[in-house]
Amino acid sequence: MMTAHNLLHRFRDLAIAVFGIVGVWWLYISIASVPTFLLPTPQSVGQALWTLVQSGDIWAHLGATLSVVLIGLASGVALGIVCGALLAHFDKLRAWLDGLLLFLQTAPKIALAPLFLIWFGLGLLSKVILVISLVFFPVLIGTMLGVRSVAPSLHDLARILKLSAWRSFVSIELPHAAADILAGVRVGSLQAVVGAILAEWLSSKVGLGYLMIMANSTFNAPLLFAAVALTVGIGIVMYFLIESIEMRVLHWRMSHD
Amino acid sequence: MSMVSVRGVTKCFPTATGFVNALSPVDLDIDAGEFVSIIGPSGCGKSTLLRIFAGLEQHTTGEISWGSQHGRDKVGFVFQEPVLLPWKSALANICFALEAFGIKGEAANTEGRRLLELVGLDQFADALPSQLSGGMRQRVAIARALSYDPQILLMDEPFGALDLLTRDKLNDELADIWAKTGKTIVLVTHSVEEAAYLSDRVVVMSARPGVVKRIYIVPFERPRSEATKLLPEFHRLMADLRQDLK
Repeated sequence: MMTAHNLLHRFRDLAIAVFGIVGVWWLYISIASVPTFLLPTPQSVGQALWTLVQSGDIWAHLGATLSVVLIGLASGVALGIVCGALLAHFDKLRAWLDGLLLFLQTAPKIALAPLFLIWFGLGLLSKVILVISLVFFPVLIGTMLGVRSVAPSLHDLARILKLSAWRSFVSIELPHAAADILAGVRVGSLQAVVGAILAEWLSSKVGLGYLMIMANSTFNAPLLFAAVALTVGIGIVMYFLIESIEMRVLHWRMSHD
Repeated sequence: MSMVSVRGVTKCFPTATGFVNALSPVDLDIDAGEFVSIIGPSGCGKSTLLRIFAGLEQHTTGEISWGSQHGRDKVGFVFQEPVLLPWKSALANICFALEAFGIKGEAANTEGRRLLELVGLDQFADALPSQLSGGMRQRVAIARALSYDPQILLMDEPFGALDLLTRDKLNDELADIWAKTGKTIVLVTHSVEEAAYLSDRVVVMSARPGVVKRIYIVPFERPRSEATKLLPEFHRLMADLRQDLK
């Protein structure tokens, strides 16, 4: 479990790792003669990034990708929690949907991406739906697990206190399930970035995925690397964001004297 | 006045192989303000009976009538485990119960603090359950069960998981709380001593199927103390209870 102190350590370790990777990369290029279209120098990648910033294009690309990631993630999490809670409560429903869920869960969503494109068009919707399909299941499973692991005695308490089903869900089951739900969100958020990039490869005129395809087809290796670096950056920011949400929501788990 | 009266109550549980009779017809009256203990071997249905009182189980046949109109509207229940919300402080756990019965905000806070003082935990209002000892947690659970002023306090082996010293201490505190609040208390316990020390009456149940075997009236004067436990009559009663449990 994370603490604030721990988080700082993580941040430091991450910075060291990034410097390390760039250092080795730079060293390798200066020792071996690698063609720049295979492996550009860190400086040229930095230059490409700077050009993106200067032209202001970076905001359009980042914005497009981030909105797919965030809209998809938020909808997927909301949908996953609602459906997970319903399935946890209604055994019959779970029995009926068991086969369907297994089918959908194991179906490679990435492979469905072209289908989403046909069904939901070239716009934002098909991309968001791909992301939702990736985020939904880990959150659903986490919610179901968390809600079903509420001790029977806590249910007894809810009945003694005459709590409504809704009150009981909000004040007992949801906080109890928070750790499992967040574990699902963590997996889902990484998948969300993958989904967004992939959707942009397939059809887009803007976004980091589009930028990669564009750089690739114009043999612009520094730009490709810059786009990859930005994607990694999004992943890292999301990771720390979820970590800090976890710290806030699950602080009670850390205060064992 | 009778707080609750039980007539011919039975309970059948369905199991994989058929039905299990947890309670054969049980008759029992509990008076308002009375402290009644129920003891019996494992599987005699004493916890089931308590859960039927609380409305956590439905009885199969028979009748339960409550003296007052509000009857079972509000019951306090103390479980074997504290059953606190681990993400809420001691005070917030009590306020949570108060809010469930419509007491909110500052009023809940004041009442919560008063109850923590009653159970001797006013210093630990902001502590999380994980920061409290087992005995302290069970005190919070008792304070919570009392918080919304229930007509009856039902306790299901509340001190079973505690060490002997803590248990003795909490027994005295419970007797004290009972004297101060005048609540009707029904205590399910395994401990013959606990039952004899605390109760006005001890109900002995026998197992399979669960029936009321005998009811003892406990005559010792209150307030009781360690001196009570030294009385020959106290030992006589404990011996009788033990004999009945066999």
